[in-house]
Amino acid sequence: MSAELRIAHLRKVFATGKPAVDDVSFTIAAGEIVVLLGPSGCGKTTTLRCVAGLEHPTDGEISLAGEPISAPARGILMPPRLRNIGMVFQSYAVWPHMTVRENVAYPLKSRGLSRADQDRRIADALALVDLGGYADRPVTQLSGGQMQRVALARSMVYEPRLLLLDEPLSNLDAQLRLRLRDDLRRIVKKAGLTALYVTHDQTEAVVLGDRIGVMRDGKLLQMASPEEVYNRPADLFVAAFTGASNFIPGQVTARDGEFGAVRTADGATLRAWMPQGVVPGANVQVAVRPENIRFTEAAGSENRVTAKVTAQRYLGMQTSYDLSVFGATIEGIEVGTAVRYPVGSEVTVALPPESCWAYAASADDARAMTPH
Amino acid sequence: MSQGARFRPAKLIAGLWSAALLIILTFLVLYPTAMLLVGALTNMNPVVDGYHPEAISISSFIDVLSNENVHFALGNTLVACAGGTAVAVIIGLFFAWIVVRTNTPWKGLIATAGMLPLFVPPLVAGVGWALLGSPKTGLINTFLARAGIEWRIDLYSMSGIIFVFGMYYAPYVYMFTASALRNMDPSLEEAAEISGATPFRTIFTITFPLIAPAIISGMLLSFVVMLGIYGIPAVLGAPANIPVLTTYIFQLTAWTPPEYSKAAAVALILMVATGALVALQQKVLSGRSYTTVAGKAFRPRSLNLGPWRFLTLALAIIYLLVVVVLPTLALIVAAFRRFLFIRDVASLFDMKQYGLLHFQRLFENPATMTSIYNTMKVGIITAVIGGILAFAIGYTVTRTQAPARRWIDIIATIPVAIPGLVIGVAYLWAWIGMPFGFYGSIWILALAFVARFMPDTVKALSASLMQIHKELEEAAWICGRGTLATIRTIVLPLARPGVVAAMTLLFILAIRELGSSLFLYSSSTVVMAVKLLDYYEGGNVGLTAAFSLVQMVILGVLIGITNLLTRGAANSSVGRAG
Ligand SMILES: Nc1ncnc2c1ncn2[C@@H]1O[C@H](COP(=O)(O)OP(=O)(O)OP(=O)(O)O)[C@@H](O)[C@H]1O
Ligand SMILES: [Mg+2]
Repeated sequence: MSAELRIAHLRKVFATGKPAVDDVSFTIAAGEIVVLLGPSGCGKTTTLRCVAGLEHPTDGEISLAGEPISAPARGILMPPRLRNIGMVFQSYAVWPHMTVRENVAYPLKSRGLSRADQDRRIADALALVDLGGYADRPVTQLSGGQMQRVALARSMVYEPRLLLLDEPLSNLDAQLRLRLRDDLRRIVKKAGLTALYVTHDQTEAVVLGDRIGVMRDGKLLQMASPEEVYNRPADLFVAAFTGASNFIPGQVTARDGEFGAVRTADGATLRAWMPQGVVPGANVQVAVRPENIRFTEAAGSENRVTAKVTAQRYLGMQTSYDLSVFGATIEGIEVGTAVRYPVGSEVTVALPPESCWAYAASADDARAMTPH
Repeated sequence: MSQGARFRPAKLIAGLWSAALLIILTFLVLYPTAMLLVGALTNMNPVVDGYHPEAISISSFIDVLSNENVHFALGNTLVACAGGTAVAVIIGLFFAWIVVRTNTPWKGLIATAGMLPLFVPPLVAGVGWALLGSPKTGLINTFLARAGIEWRIDLYSMSGIIFVFGMYYAPYVYMFTASALRNMDPSLEEAAEISGATPFRTIFTITFPLIAPAIISGMLLSFVVMLGIYGIPAVLGAPANIPVLTTYIFQLTAWTPPEYSKAAAVALILMVATGALVALQQKVLSGRSYTTVAGKAFRPRSLNLGPWRFLTLALAIIYLLVVVVLPTLALIVAAFRRFLFIRDVASLFDMKQYGLLHFQRLFENPATMTSIYNTMKVGIITAVIGGILAFAIGYTVTRTQAPARRWIDIIATIPVAIPGLVIGVAYLWAWIGMPFGFYGSIWILALAFVARFMPDTVKALSASLMQIHKELEEAAWICGRGTLATIRTIVLPLARPGVVAAMTLLFILAIRELGSSLFLYSSSTVVMAVKLLDYYEGGNVGLTAAFSLVQMVILGVLIGITNLLTRGAANSSVGRAG
């Protein structure tokens, strides 16, 4: 049955030198879905493979249901086949020389179940992924999405304690991805499984995860609910990676509680949320998501300024404007099919303080990290 | 466009060119094959009777088919090849797995050294193992007796042939399966492990079924090569009276009067069997393969064997000992010892027993030097003619729109399915009764070799031609060069490394070839491989061993040079020829 996964100070260093996973710790409660999100090469797959037992950690401890399964310091290393974990690979890894049923039946063969029990479980698993009618097809005659679901059924049929998924949707076309993304959460939740899911797609992470962990260069930067990751990013990288692509440089002039005042390059003052450690006098970058910029004329809202429109991109359902304001050029998005502000015009915008996050770092770093 | 008028002479030239190639190929491949058929369907002797088309009838072929001796030889052949293939598959698969999937130390070295058996000429391998494992005087038995062990090995037996076949042709299975394993998505195996399967179960239910096409085609290829081998069964089978098809064919032509038509009939059986197996192999290879995903690089997965990795290393070392080191040592001992009789182990290390006696006698015999000289001559002629012809064919097939280029390609590939010995018989039938002394000259040997190795050479050259971008040629045309000038100034210089490599390869293949030479040499055109067999059959062990060593050194040096020239590309092709 599904179990709690606890990872403490996990490190993995390959022969090449730089650690692929560096001091990563987190816990997944039984029945919870956690998504690891991060750019290519940040160590997501390596973390997953360490949990599966396919990779041997250099250091740290992994325990499942309170029982250590990898603890190199204590010489503990349980082989993958004894861990009772399910895994869905990026390449599906369905066995092409078998039918759908044979694929799904394979894990049951080494588990000493009665024939009737096996058949029932196979039928249940195939029904769960909507492949009831395909049991006797060779898998090579399936579509990509169907193969993906075979892989899922195969990894769940033995009711593993934990389900690992490594970018299971990345090989599918966009439409199928959207559909399977929703299905996946429904199926995993229905089966009540603890799941660790790896992706570099933010929307996938938000839709699927109960919590999201953002990784960079082998380090876990933040692990929190999707709302928190999107509204209170732990640092500039997380903000940039989750789409806060505007950076306004400035200097902190005052701080009261969670918020404070930032003097920008043009001398204006911007009220922003500040993580701990940002003190008056510090040079900061204020990150703002384009979607959070309000095109509003109503007086009285905070951080309300007049901006000059320097460029305009009509995107159909929304329009993106380049705005010259606070001594920087920032992008703002207004939803709606109408284009309202021509280039060169002046527009009054408001940047709600709870959506302006001041981090002590350089914007060049952040821009380099932003996925485009 | 006005070009129509200008194109007509070009078309005519292309047509003439294709016709010329077809005529050459007919002369080299189709005519001898047809004559083999004729030979199989008559009971005349072309030397005595000349050729009489009216003597053709199916009855003599049917006589051969119902002959008990043929059945016996065929049965022995099937048992030896099937057994040898089984051994080869076990060894080859095991090594592929060790090299690709485990953390056995010195894997790279094992992989390289594991290909060495392919370079040992079958006759030399046979002689080496006869020295080691003959029932009475074999070195191994001497040691066993010395150690007080009752048990003796006897390589002069069917199991001896199977053992040596399996050991020496395992690299074919290895080549195919290792590359299939490399091209297989490792997560297919990881998925099985995560599902709860033990490593053992994973290998047998996932890994092997997935690379089955590679296993089967490696199996078929090694079977085909064993079918055509003469040297090993000749040495190990003759003392125990175990004829196989190849040795039986040779026997037929060695009788007085020689039974040429019977030999042709048996050769035809061998050719049909080979052809069928080669066709089957091509079908397996072109069929759906689960593993080869072009252009996809998988991170190699290496199983941590823990302390067991030293066991796999030890097995690899034992294999190398058995196929390379032991037979070479046996040859060295036999070549440098005055008398092979070894009373005890101490006498084995008694340096007074050793000397250059056999080498002196070897080189005092003028026939030895003549055979080396002949071999070099045949090798050079084969390399030059074969290289030029293969370049012409490869260029025509891959680069031009010449008419009938499909046919040229097909005919040039036919010899893949004809064992060397059968080519020898076919050439014998094609030329023995003809005037102008072509049969018995050095040229017939060279042309037979050109035909025999044509598929390998054309394939190697086509591969290097494919690497030259068509645009490079087109650029020259646009600059106003004609086709010939383009070939001379652009294609040849760019393809030169490939052509040189192909010629060197041909040279090596030609100088180690025994099967087809057996039927085509005359007293003045004896080549090295034939002379070695001659020494062996004359019963002179010391001379045989000394000459084997001389040949191994010559081959080793040449292969070293080729490898430098081609960076390893030659390995697989030398192997194919057996
Ligand atoms: N077997 C290995 N040997 C050496 N280096 C490795 C190995 N596996 C991973 N790495 C390195 O570790 C780092 C993390 O790799 P990992 O596969 O975990 O990244 P990822 O986050 O899954 O990236 P992606 O989104 O591209 O799949 C990379 O720099 C990678 O090159
Ligand atoms: Mg990955």
